[in-house]
Amino acid sequence: MTTSVNNNSGGDQPQGSGNAQLARRRFLQKLGLMGAVAASYTLLEVQAKTAASSDKRWGLFIDTSKCSSGCDACVRGCNEEHGIDAGKDEHTRAQWIRKIDLTDNLTGAESSVPVMCQHCDSAPCVDVCPTGASFKRADGVVLVNKHTCIGCRYCMMACPYKARSFIHENLTDQKPSAPRGKGTVESCTLCVHRIDSDQNQQPACAVSCTDEAHSAIVFGDLNDPDSDISKKLKTVGGSQIRADLSLNTGVRYHGL
Amino acid sequence: MSLRLNLALLILPAALLLVMPGYADDNGPVIPPATYGDQCVADTDIMRKEHMSLLNHQRDETVIEGIRGEPFSLVSCVNCHAQNDNGGQPIRIDAKGQFCESCHTYAAVKIDCFTCHAALPEENAVIGSLQNNLPVASTYSNKQLLVMQSHKVAHKASHDYQRK
Amino acid sequence: MISGAGYFQPLKSAGNYLLWMALLALLVLAGGYCAYTMEHEGHHITGMNNSIVWGLPHVFAISLILAASGALNGATLSSVFGNKTYSPYARLSVVLSICLLIGGLIVLVLDLGRPDRLAVALTTYNFKSIFSWNIFLYTGFIAVGVLYLATMLEKSLQRFTQTMGVVALIWRIVLTTGTGSIFGFLVGRSALDSAILAPLFIALSLVMGSAVLALVMTWAGRWQSQTVSARTQHSFVRLLLWCVLAVLYFSIVHHLTNLYVAEHQSDEHNVLKGAFAVLFWFSHLALLGIVAALAFALKQGEGYLSTMKWHAVCAVSLIACTMILYAVIIGSQSTPQLLFPDKTITASTFGDGGIGPYLPSVWEWGLGIGGTALSLLLFGVVLRVLPITSTTQS
Ligand code: HEC
Ligand code: HEC
Ligand code: HEC
Repeated sequence: MTTSVNNNSGGDQPQGSGNAQLARRRFLQKLGLMGAVAASYTLLEVQAKTAASSDKRWGLFIDTSKCSSGCDACVRGCNEEHGIDAGKDEHTRAQWIRKIDLTDNLTGAESSVPVMCQHCDSAPCVDVCPTGASFKRADGVVLVNKHTCIGCRYCMMACPYKARSFIHENLTDQKPSAPRGKGTVESCTLCVHRIDSDQNQQPACAVSCTDEAHSAIVFGDLNDPDSDISKKLKTVGGSQIRADLSLNTGVRYHGL
Repeated sequence: MSLRLNLALLILPAALLLVMPGYADDNGPVIPPATYGDQCVADTDIMRKEHMSLLNHQRDETVIEGIRGEPFSLVSCVNCHAQNDNGGQPIRIDAKGQFCESCHTYAAVKIDCFTCHAALPEENAVIGSLQNNLPVASTYSNKQLLVMQSHKVAHKASHDYQRK
Repeated sequence: MISGAGYFQPLKSAGNYLLWMALLALLVLAGGYCAYTMEHEGHHITGMNNSIVWGLPHVFAISLILAASGALNGATLSSVFGNKTYSPYARLSVVLSICLLIGGLIVLVLDLGRPDRLAVALTTYNFKSIFSWNIFLYTGFIAVGVLYLATMLEKSLQRFTQTMGVVALIWRIVLTTGTGSIFGFLVGRSALDSAILAPLFIALSLVMGSAVLALVMTWAGRWQSQTVSARTQHSFVRLLLWCVLAVLYFSIVHHLTNLYVAEHQSDEHNVLKGAFAVLFWFSHLALLGIVAALAFALKQGEGYLSTMKWHAVCAVSLIACTMILYAVIIGSQSTPQLLFPDKTITASTFGDGGIGPYLPSVWEWGLGIGGTALSLLLFGVVLRVLPITSTTQS
């Protein structure tokens, strides 16, 4: 048993951890798992569980001056990431991000913007959900817990941004990282499955935008004054869609 | 005894045998072996009895708290337990006779998980590393085993399962 | 029971009762089939989509729920306000009310994306949500109704009838307000962001409830070989007239204020001239017509209308009110949500800036009609089982 040799002799193991391992091993012995576990024992690291924390507030900064009208790279990136079929009817298929082209009524200036869930701080969809399936994570990401969503669509009635989609039909071939299915509501998750597992990961839309050399979408922690997104907001400024509703959105637009 | 009663007595057990083959010759469900790994993410016996509560617990931890890379992830079950067909192509884990289905059909349990969750393993799954570096119960057990104990209630049916 | 009501007895199978029940049962079955298909196939077979998320089933459900609250009029007038004219119909009124509510709730539940998760809705609540509160209001209403009915049916309990009547009256007002509030606090939908909706819903509820009650009274009366007396009808004509006037008043105020508020003008355009114009103008002109007809009848003295005319008045009121609800519920969703006030939308992959498309499918009609039929079927069955109908005229 290689592990016990290591532990007893100390070897190159730092002192304190031997005790911890011993204690854990006793615990395992009690469970009768000893033999099975021993072989791979030394290879294992105690992985710290990192839960979403309210120290952070994830958000997006969208620089409309860098976003171009014909480009839908962010939409394609999102669809690809979550296995969304964009070939279906535009009113019944899922639309986590959409592109909207605008002309200013006064100046005639044209702009183009991606619109997705705005990850409101005081989110109307969260307030109205009868089962609490629509919720805001500690780090500000607004999500649907599809395990408790009953598909009543009240959140869609409440959303000022038309950002949520109801799944109207049976789906097949979902991506392992993006479970989706008929009868529940869904919307942009800020790619939690990516950003949770690796601090350097970006949501798929931001990656696609950068790949297209536009870099119009910046993802980051709004609570961290040194993050790219906070610096951008501080230097160039950003506004909220429907700021009049005072929802304190996590998605901010520059040049709207 | 009238002839009719006699006949009925004869036919009834025969009919029962026909409609309930499982009970007539009950050696438990035929569960396909795991494709990867040489042990499960927790003791096999615990997995048999407690996988539902473990999965539910994991589900809430991941979805609500954003905790990832945990052993009781549904994706990982599929990665190890989905079988390959003769051509080496993976088979849906909820297909007839496959890992989750075989046992559940036997126990008359229906799950809807795979209407949303992928029933096929991840393409370039971390199975390779799982195989070598199994995230076995040891590193995670303390908290999870407490969870298991707190859930040790109604799972009477599952106690009897024997793997063939 | 408050005196003057005479004897109550279960309905004897008479006339075309069984035929009606069979027809209703068929409609319920068809509705069940539609609901099953909708759940099995998914909502893409319906006209509902991600722009119009609540469709015809919700119009039916809200109509039934409002009518349920309003149908209690008869009982309230009898046991709370001591109006003897309605005493023979008090029991009928309570039973009808409960049955309508059940039908409405079933439509609502069967339209869910995951009706199989109803248990989740009944066990986990988000108390910030009006929806959660409504679940209590609805189930509570059924409980209050059953208790109320019990105090009428059981001699020893009859001294509580008035108290229960007051409880039921308060409960139904809260229930109607709660139902209206589902729509009232939606900041994202400017067409709904109006305080007038709550009183409008209460007025609609009174009209729809009274109209259903009146129809059902003659329906049940006929099987009992009874006719509704002139005095009762006279009273009903006055009741309906006032309620219809209230609906017209609140609806017109709603639209006038919307015209006044600049940011709601596109909603108004949609309703008055656009896709919903036919519904709007038909329903309001029909209600105006009813006001004229009823006022004329009252002026004629007794306020007596032939059964045919009376039925027509009730049916048209019901249809007009349902149309108003349709225009409120669907119309408010089909008007574009204003995201960029100072800009014009030139392109969008999700119909931003345009009118949301909606055409109800046969499945939605089936579900809605099936739910309505279920209400009436239940009602018919209860009539046979419990002493609900009165054998003396009033
Ligand atoms: C309506 C769709 C839907 C259904 C049905 C569903 N899930 Fe999920 N599940 C999700 C979504 C969405 C996530 C979040 C994925 C993420 O954030 O990465 C998730 C995440 C999970 C997770 C954490 C992620 C992982 O892979 O470990 C577990 C565990 C889980 N679900 C278990 C279940 C089980 C068990 C069932 C069946 C009883 C089930 N789910 C049914 C949609 C669904
Ligand atoms: C590393 C690969 C691996 C992963 C990940 C894994 N398993 Fe296993 N599992 C196995 C192996 C190997 C066995 C057989 C162990 C034995 O024979 O004692 C097994 C056995 C089981 C059994 C007992 C089967 C029987 O024959 O009675 C159940 C139940 C089970 N696993 C469920 C799960 C669930 C649920 C998950 C996801 C949370 C999961 N497993 C994840 C490898 C894995
Ligand atoms: C060894 C047999 C066995 C295997 C293999 C098995 N299950 Fe189960 N499972 C059961 C039994 C038995 C129950 C019912 C337990 C109970 O109700 O107490 C159950 C229940 C469940 C439930 C809860 C269902 C409910 O309605 O409460 C989920 C979720 C579940 N299993 C998921 C899985 C998944 C996912 C797999 C495949 C990775 C799997 N199971 C493989 C035996 C098994």
